[in-house]
Amino acid sequence: MSTKTPSEGDIIRPIGSFSKQFIALFVACALVFGAFLVAWAYQLQQGMIVTGLSDWGSGGGATWGLYIGAFIWWVGIAHGGIILSAAVRLLGMDRYMPVARLAEMLTLAGLSAAGFYIIVHMGRPDRMVTSILGHYHITVNNSPLVWDVTVITAYFVLTATYLALTLRYDITRLRDQLPDLFEPIYKMMTLGYTEEEDEIVERMVWWLALAIIIMAPLLLHGGVIPWLFAVLPGMPAWFGAVQGPQFLTIALTSAISGVIIVAYAFRRAYDWDHIMTDDVFRGLLLWLGFFCLLFLWLQLQQNVTGLFAAPVSTDVAQTATIGHPVYITAMVLVLGTLAYIFAQTIRPSLFTKPRAIVAALAVLTGTLLEKLIFVVEGFLHPEFEIYAATPGEYFPSAIEWLSLAGTIGMVVLFFLVVAKIVPVVELHAIEHLRGDHGHGEDTEHATEQEVKA
Amino acid sequence: MSTDDESFHPLGNEWENELEEMLDDTEYDSDLGMEMAQDAMRVTKGELSEAEFHEMYHDDVMEEFGEDQRPTEAAYEEAQAAEEGTMSRMLSKFEGDGEEGRRDAMKKMGAGAAFVGLGAWGTVDDGEPEPQEQVAAAQEDDGGDGTQWGMTIDLERCDGCLTCVTACGNENNLDQGVNWMYVLEFEDSTPQTGRPNRLVRPCQHCTDAPCEKVCPTTARHTRDQDGLVLTDYDVCIGCRYCQVACPYGVNYFQWDEPDISTDQIEEYYTEEQGMDSDHMTTTYENGEERWVDSRAPRGTMSKCTMCPTRQDGEMGEDMVGTTACEQACPPGAIQFGDVNSDTSDASKYATNPSRGRALQWLSPPSESALEEDLDGADDDLESVLEAAGLDVEDLMLMKAVGITGESMGEGDGDMAATETDIQAALDVIEAHGLDLDDEDILDELGLGDGDADDAQVVLDQQYGSPESSFLLQEDMGTNPNITYFGHEPGPNAEQTEPTGTGVEYADLSYERADGEMVDMVDNRKEVLDEETVGDAGVSL
Repeated sequence: MSTKTPSEGDIIRPIGSFSKQFIALFVACALVFGAFLVAWAYQLQQGMIVTGLSDWGSGGGATWGLYIGAFIWWVGIAHGGIILSAAVRLLGMDRYMPVARLAEMLTLAGLSAAGFYIIVHMGRPDRMVTSILGHYHITVNNSPLVWDVTVITAYFVLTATYLALTLRYDITRLRDQLPDLFEPIYKMMTLGYTEEEDEIVERMVWWLALAIIIMAPLLLHGGVIPWLFAVLPGMPAWFGAVQGPQFLTIALTSAISGVIIVAYAFRRAYDWDHIMTDDVFRGLLLWLGFFCLLFLWLQLQQNVTGLFAAPVSTDVAQTATIGHPVYITAMVLVLGTLAYIFAQTIRPSLFTKPRAIVAALAVLTGTLLEKLIFVVEGFLHPEFEIYAATPGEYFPSAIEWLSLAGTIGMVVLFFLVVAKIVPVVELHAIEHLRGDHGHGEDTEHATEQEVKA
Repeated sequence: MSTDDESFHPLGNEWENELEEMLDDTEYDSDLGMEMAQDAMRVTKGELSEAEFHEMYHDDVMEEFGEDQRPTEAAYEEAQAAEEGTMSRMLSKFEGDGEEGRRDAMKKMGAGAAFVGLGAWGTVDDGEPEPQEQVAAAQEDDGGDGTQWGMTIDLERCDGCLTCVTACGNENNLDQGVNWMYVLEFEDSTPQTGRPNRLVRPCQHCTDAPCEKVCPTTARHTRDQDGLVLTDYDVCIGCRYCQVACPYGVNYFQWDEPDISTDQIEEYYTEEQGMDSDHMTTTYENGEERWVDSRAPRGTMSKCTMCPTRQDGEMGEDMVGTTACEQACPPGAIQFGDVNSDTSDASKYATNPSRGRALQWLSPPSESALEEDLDGADDDLESVLEAAGLDVEDLMLMKAVGITGESMGEGDGDMAATETDIQAALDVIEAHGLDLDDEDILDELGLGDGDADDAQVVLDQQYGSPESSFLLQEDMGTNPNITYFGHEPGPNAEQTEPTGTGVEYADLSYERADGEMVDMVDNRKEVLDEETVGDAGVSL
């Protein structure tokens, strides 16, 4: 552990300072995001024909592809982020308090990217409001896509509320050190603040955290997102109850990886070794290993039931999946990460932060590839796989690939901008690290439990 | 589920109380609702007629709702012929018809929904479906036995000429590769019969269409009036979930600007064809005008429509009950019609396929020509046949069709017309003095005792009875409205090429409204790949 004492000054540091690296990263991300916006404009002008998609059936293609794969990937990252933060609050995992707010922000950024993908993948995005909201009272009863939009919106609102409530405490106390440029924002965010509300807000946030923890498996990434696919009997690669747990584990692995990367970037940029300690990364890595194990376990379930003596269509789809280079790459990446994580728990000297970053990147690549092949495989091997003269083929077009870079750029931009306005580490975390709250014993206790887990 | 004796409702007290609470939440009289529901249940049991039910509550309903739009007795008499009433339909009349203020309608819908819920169980008597599903079904269903357009397709008669595919492209001005109608030839793991296996694949217009269920906008909808599953091109957002959910792969997205403009289509149909309709928008029975026909505009989903412009009478009355593909099919493999009516072509063919084949094949002499030919001829079998220019087989088959026909000439399809012609010819022969029901004559014709079984054997021997009858992917639970005869594709069925009797898609073309010839394409992706940005030329 570092000998430096965490201070308010530490968490204020990103605000108001502009390093060359910051500007370079900002420009690079803006360029990539801008490039995708131009590409998207071209898609709007020409139609969805610029993608590599086609109709399944006699259209010889895949109806959905990278756009939807990346959509689920981002939603996964987003959902997992807030689960992590909620767990910190609900289960008293105070060790992760310094990264909790980053996780919350990752949720907002991830949901924004996912929402953007919904619009990008539609043929007539201009009708989003009139067609969807106008018939909402009817379609919400049966369309999984409407459930998705509903739950994603609810999640965005919950997370934004959660973040806004906890920021009030910090902004009020740090106001003197925050730039006057953003005065209107701070005023609005702390409207009507009194010290008496702290206790109430803490209770509210606890309940919000509870709601999030309950909703995540039942409705979110263990619910409506997998149901988009799992409820369709026409696609044996998707149909079945395993998709709920499978999606949830993928979400959690992706999100922990995302948090590791974001936290590492901030720690490096602002010398936060004493705030986001090695201990935090070791802990996150262990959790990542645990969820990688669950992820692979559920893949195993699908392969065994899909290959042993499955119905013809399921067998065909699963055989195609397990032999696919993209799927194999994804599994190797996750399995490799799992092996490393377990190895470094046995021999702690194997842990280094760069290796933790490589592990996180490997998992994120693995989950993205898995999502992509999962979506596409459905169309390539449907139940009614008679169209052999027009077999399904798909490869993402340049614009689709660019969307991936563009949304990553968008999410990085989000962090770069937000970090200049509000503290990305909770003041509570600093107080806690200094022992202001006298939770020292609890922390040790919690840490022991986690290490055991 | 409990069926407490004290409850009038088959689901028992709990369900009844729940709905009563729903009624309590509305501003309308719960007691009236419960009473009506109880009596409505009696209607479904046949203890009370719809008309009596109507009269019983007319005054109360007027007092409570200020209107009573349930079918009046007169309307009921009229409707009775067309469809069997259900309580749900009667009660659904409370849902308002758009004439009143939106707010009022919404309030009444609350009451209406609960009323319908109470009655929903009365409309079914099989299984134990979820109450919610039943309410939803009751709200969607307007009686169950109304018109339901559908097809009977005899795959053993299909020779793979692809004429139906080109006719569809021509009628609907489809882009290259948008094969709403698609025919494929396939190999299966079962032993070959010597005849190629073919599948004619239009949209199945499912009664429980998964595409409609998943649509986030209601653009994909089933028309109450005739069960057609259509896409409202003005509402569709192009999410393509319908295509994803459809187990048949019948949907075609409009990935770019269509090759022909709406102006050109309109000009063709209104000016060149002299139609009142533009073949794109059509007026529904409720007065709504919706754009559901012809090729889709950019960014929306399209599929086989079963020609709503025709069904709505906008191409003339004689086109009602026809589709472009059916009319074009040379061997008569496609029979279109109201599958809920016993006398439609589709139903007649489905009930008795070998007889259906006979009706496609036979061309009886016209009444007047036959009378003229028979004039002065003797009335023994040989003389009659000679004078009429018929051989024994012709007469045998005509008589067999007559014997096996339960509703000869009834209905307004082509098959009914042929039946009428056959009956007329048989009548002329009888009138001439040849008793076709005479044992000896029947024997000479090879019709045995002349009963239906003997006649059926003759038809089966002559035209063959199909290998099997099936609904496509029936276990998907979609309740498709196309009945197939022939070889059902198994799980290992794989398409082969060429599709037809030496005919490949690439060899054919169809004319579009702008006069251009469109070369057919089997695999649409080849067309779409031309516009893909950075097409890598590889596949995942």
